[in-house]
Order: sequence, then C-alpha cells, then structure tokens
Amino acid sequence: MSLTDDRAALDQWYTLGALQDFPDGAEVHSRLLGEDLTVRRLADGVEVRAAGRALPVRTEYGHLWTSFGTPERNLFELPESREPDRRWIHCGPVRVRASGLRLVENFLDLAHFPYVHTDILGSEAHPEVAKYEVEQRRDVDELWATKCEFYQPKAAAASDEGQISKYMYRVVSPFNVMLYKTPPTAPDRWDVIALFVQPVDEAVSVANAFMLVIDDTSTDAELSAFQQMIFVQDKIVLENQRPSLLPLQPGRETPTRADLSSVLYRRWLKEKQLRFGTEPRTDLPNA
Amino acid sequence: MADWIPIALSRDVPVGITRAVIVDTREVMIWRGEDGVAQVWEDRCPHRGMRLSLGFVRGNALNCLYHGWQYGAGANCLRIPAHPDLTVPPTIRANAFAAAETGGMVWMSDDSAAPPPQLPALTPVISLAIEVAPERVLAELGGSTAEPLIELPFAADTLQIGWHRVHAAKTMLHATGAGADIGAATAHLRALRQNLEQGVAA
Amino acid sequence: MPKLYDYVLSGSCYKVRLLLNMLGIAYETQAVDFFPGREHKRPEFLALNPLGQLPVFEDAGLVLRDAQAILCHLASSYDASGQWLPRDVRFGSVMMWLSFAGGELMAISGARMIAMLNYPGDLATLQAKARTALRLLDDHLADRAQAGGLWIVGATPTIADIASFPYVALSHDAGIGHEDYPAINLWQRQVRKLPGFVGMPGVPGYF
Ligand code: FES
Ligand SMILES: [Fe+2]
Repeated sequence: MSLTDDRAALDQWYTLGALQDFPDGAEVHSRLLGEDLTVRRLADGVEVRAAGRALPVRTEYGHLWTSFGTPERNLFELPESREPDRRWIHCGPVRVRASGLRLVENFLDLAHFPYVHTDILGSEAHPEVAKYEVEQRRDVDELWATKCEFYQPKAAAASDEGQISKYMYRVVSPFNVMLYKTPPTAPDRWDVIALFVQPVDEAVSVANAFMLVIDDTSTDAELSAFQQMIFVQDKIVLENQRPSLLPLQPGRETPTRADLSSVLYRRWLKEKQLRFGTEPRTDLPNA
Repeated sequence: MADWIPIALSRDVPVGITRAVIVDTREVMIWRGEDGVAQVWEDRCPHRGMRLSLGFVRGNALNCLYHGWQYGAGANCLRIPAHPDLTVPPTIRANAFAAAETGGMVWMSDDSAAPPPQLPALTPVISLAIEVAPERVLAELGGSTAEPLIELPFAADTLQIGWHRVHAAKTMLHATGAGADIGAATAHLRALRQNLEQGVAA
Repeated sequence: MPKLYDYVLSGSCYKVRLLLNMLGIAYETQAVDFFPGREHKRPEFLALNPLGQLPVFEDAGLVLRDAQAILCHLASSYDASGQWLPRDVRFGSVMMWLSFAGGELMAISGARMIAMLNYPGDLATLQAKARTALRLLDDHLADRAQAGGLWIVGATPTIADIASFPYVALSHDAGIGHEDYPAINLWQRQVRKLPGFVGMPGVPGYF
C-alpha cells in the first residue's frame, strides 16, 4: 500500500504521537495514510519527512502533528490546555487493527458502556440512552453532541460510587475527537479526554489517548491505567467489527436513536467525500 | 461445492456456547440455546457489525457483546437495551443460514430449500484444522471435493469425516466413527495432519 | 494485607488476579506504569524484582515474582481443599503445564506486545510459535474431553488452568483467533463458569 490519493484525507492534520516519545537526535520511523515517514527531533524543532520531502509540523497539546496536504484550517483549539491546574496524562499509543473512523465512532458511543465497560462506565441494569442533542458547527467545522447523560458505576479513576455522568462530545476532524465529562471531584468543571487517531493504513490505526483532568488524588499510573483499561476494552470490539472499514453505504448497518452522533458523523464524512478508512461503495456512479 | 457443508462436531457446540468458524473465507458462527437447536449465522451483528461469536447466550437468545442487542432463535432482534421500551421492528434480523444436525455434525447451507443429508448417529472423534489445501487433503484421504463426507477405513471402523474449506490453503476435518477406538483414530488423523503439513512445507 | 504490583493489561498479572478472586482472598494493588512509563525498569521496582517483570506479590514479608510461582504460593497457603495444587499423582502434571503456561504459551504475550504496543521483535515468528503452543494445548484438551475430562489435569480445575487461560484468551490481541481450536473453545467456557471468575480488558466477563 502507498500514500492514499484521497484529497479529503490528505488535507488534514494528524498526530504522530506524544512529543515525549520522540527523543532528541533519534530518528523514528512512522507511517501515515499508507506512507512511511521519518521523524527527527532537532535542537530547533522536529522534522518530518516522507518520500524525500519535508512535511509541515506542529507541536501542540504535547503531541506532534503533520499533514501530507494543505489543511484548510489551523489545528483545532483546546483551551483547557492553558488551564494551570489540569494534569496532562499521555496514555501511550495502542495499535488497533481497524479503520480509524471505527475508533472515532466507538468513542462517540454511549450505548456500549454497559456491555463493554461493565460495572465501570455502565451497568446492565441501566442500559438506556437518553435523548441527547447533536449539531454540526459550520463556523469551526466541528461536530458536537451535548446533553448526554449516563449512569456510571465508576466514572473515573477517583470515583468511589456510581453517578449520573454528564458528557459532551466534540469531533474536530475525521480522526480526532474528544469528550468532556464531569470529574467526580469537581462537578463544576469538565475533564477532557481526547482520542487522537493516527490512521496508519486503511484498516490499521494507532490510538493516542490523552487526558487533561482535574484530579488531585490519583497517581499518574492510576489515571493512565484507568484510561488504558477502558480503551483496551474497546479494542476487542473494534478489531471484531465487520467490515473493518467504516461502511457509509445506506442500509449496511442499523442505527437507532442512540446512534445519532454516529449518524451525523457518517453524514459529515460523506459531505467531506472522505474515502480513507471507509468501505468502498457500490451504490455510487463511477465509484 | 456441496449444498450442505459440515462445519463442526455437534459435541463441540454444547448448550450455551458460541463458536466461530471460517467457511470458505466467510466468517460464520454457531450457537446453541437452551432449546438445544444449533443455529448457524453470519458472524456479524446488523447493528454495527460486531462479530456475534464474541456474544453470549442466555436462555434461548444470543446477545451481541457490543451493545447487547438480543436475538432469538429465529434470528429476529428481540431487544435493544439502549431503548428498553422500543418494540423492535421485525425487519431487524441477523443473517441466518439454513442449519441442520446429522451424523454427529453441524451442517450449514445457503439454500434452505435443499433438504439436509440424513445420516446415522455416529460417535464424535475429533475436529482438526490442517494447514493444507482441501484438494490435497481429499486426495490423500480418498475423498472428493464434490462430496461433503470422506469414508476412511480405520482398523475395524470406517470413519465418516466431514470437511470444510477454511480458505485456499486450510482445511478443517470433522471425524466421526461407529465407536471403535476413538483414541487410536484421533492419533491416526493427527499423524495424517502432520504428514500433509510436512508435505506442504517440504 | 497481601499486595499485588499490578498492570491492568498484563496477562501475567491477570493470572494472579484470577486466582485471588476465585479463592476470595482480600488484597490491595499497586498500579505499575508498565506502559508507557516503563516503571518496571526503574530502580524502585528493580529492588523488588531484579528481573524487572510483573507481577510481584508481597505477602507477610514474602516478596515473590513470577506468576506461576505466585499461583503455587496462593494455592499452598490459601486453598485448604488442596484442589488447585493437588499433592498427589497430579502434582507433576500440574507443574508440567505450569511450565508450559510460563514458557511456550508466552509466545502469545510476545506477539501481543509487538502487535499492540509496537514493541520491537519478529511478529511472524512469535505468531508461529504461539500457534504451535495453542495446537498442542488444543490436542491435549481434545484428548481430555474424549476421556470425559474438562480440565487440563484431573477432574477439577487446577492452577494449570488458571496459568494457561489468560494468554489463550488474549491471543486475538496477537492476531490469532480460536477458529482452529474447538477444544480450547470448550475449555475456555468452563473456566469462565468458575465461581469468582473475572475478565480483563480484552477478555470480556460475559459468557
Ligand atoms: S453491534 Fe451488535 S449490538 Fe451493536
Ligand atoms: Fe468504549
């Protein structure tokens, strides 16, 4: 496989991982959208090269970002990264044999909590997904799901008891997503949990979970272990969805009202004419 | 290929279990509820595509691991936990194949109109995956790709061996016998497996 | 209280958690940031286990490393019935399969670290070794099933089953499904039905 010719995928910012994973001087081999690249940390910045050319680089939110094309927009805003009392937790890159779009869609999903994150983010006794709101914010080209509520036995590393958690979801680009949820210790604030997906090949992804949390009781190891536990519970689902590529063709899958955010996400991907990581369609002329 | 394909020994699919099987590169799954009837379905939940072989059986229903959608023996979706009050429309169904059990094996067919074979009950011996093309396995065992069963004389017994193609280079055998020496028959088939695989490696 | 130095994604730590839970032993855990922090290679942890490996188990002044050794300790100290580590003709067989669980089956762990956490190594070679080990176990379990047995050794579950279960169940993380192993599929279900069974990420608790 070689670099995709999917314009919509090329013209996006992608993370290659946490900056701390690129040691000074060392050359690191990586891969993005079907193309190999090398990353070198230099005294005055980071260099990313693919097929002999230097790619644009951003270092934001503790992560390294690059693009093969010319993104229409700057990298998304993450204002919480400027709040001094937040802890930055890098949960480590995990490789998943699935389309990165499947990862994002799973991240947006509430209905799986009772079955995949049993007795942590949900319980079988409380499986109902209450109505929530979704919107496409055209000014920033982001998707939002708001007013999400779910009963959670252990919502976070610092939780002692169950709670009704409030969630907001925010998709900032096809492969980058974050959620805001109420921390057990600071009900007036929002913890931020981000999933930055590096789409390696169409059906291979590296998931970078990153948290900006309010928590002064848990250790870094506990916070990171909690999020890794949650993500690896999802991994078995992600690697066993068929097809591995996200189907956009109508009728291939069966959404319900609980899947409103997934429906909006798929519509948005279609609008962008994104193909990388999607199942080839047979219902379109010249497909 | 034959209309009806043997894909497992019945013994290996007791009540309450799920089993993933790859049949000619297609992912299918077998499950058996309390009613004792073996079901053979496409290994894919209609909701978001999760493999149903990772699901769990309760009573006479199969539950998908991802969001807990529950399917009855007729493959129709009975319950969507995210919407407890919803009456699930009958159009939401898993993709079921025709299934039958005969001769100690579970069989599947794409065509529910064709009648399944009628075989005498035999004793299960062993299911073996062999990393060799079905054509070579059948040539070695004296079977035919046109027939779902191989008759293999062994000691005083004649083993009846169902086979299915996993993919171009892998075969699965499901051996049954009239009940002679199961241990010896198993050892014999494992030796055949080793010879065949070594032949491919050589 | 006994203390387990634990990493939530470690199949070896899971061996110990499984038996602790099945025996109903109260214990505390200390999370070790194995990945990405590599805390198990830092001096404080190396003082506990110079091999720099998880799990480590502390119990009344005893500091033990190696999941199999810890299972032996738990069975001999906490299982009055003697079922989990029988002191009779089965003892040698249980030890033999414990060695297998800590040896050949660990190819799955190696393959999993490469496939999932991008550790350096030769994935295809480890996957081939893992398949060889899984077939050996499947053949053994098929022989046991033909004799009416559900477990790796004898008529009851032993620590041989507990030591073998985690990486068998996690083989999908290493890119290996269970389609080729019908006897393993049956045995796994028996393990899941044991009182006190718990899952781990990658091993759903449902059955
Ligand atoms: S994918 Fe099966 S219930 Fe959602
Ligand atoms: Fe999840």
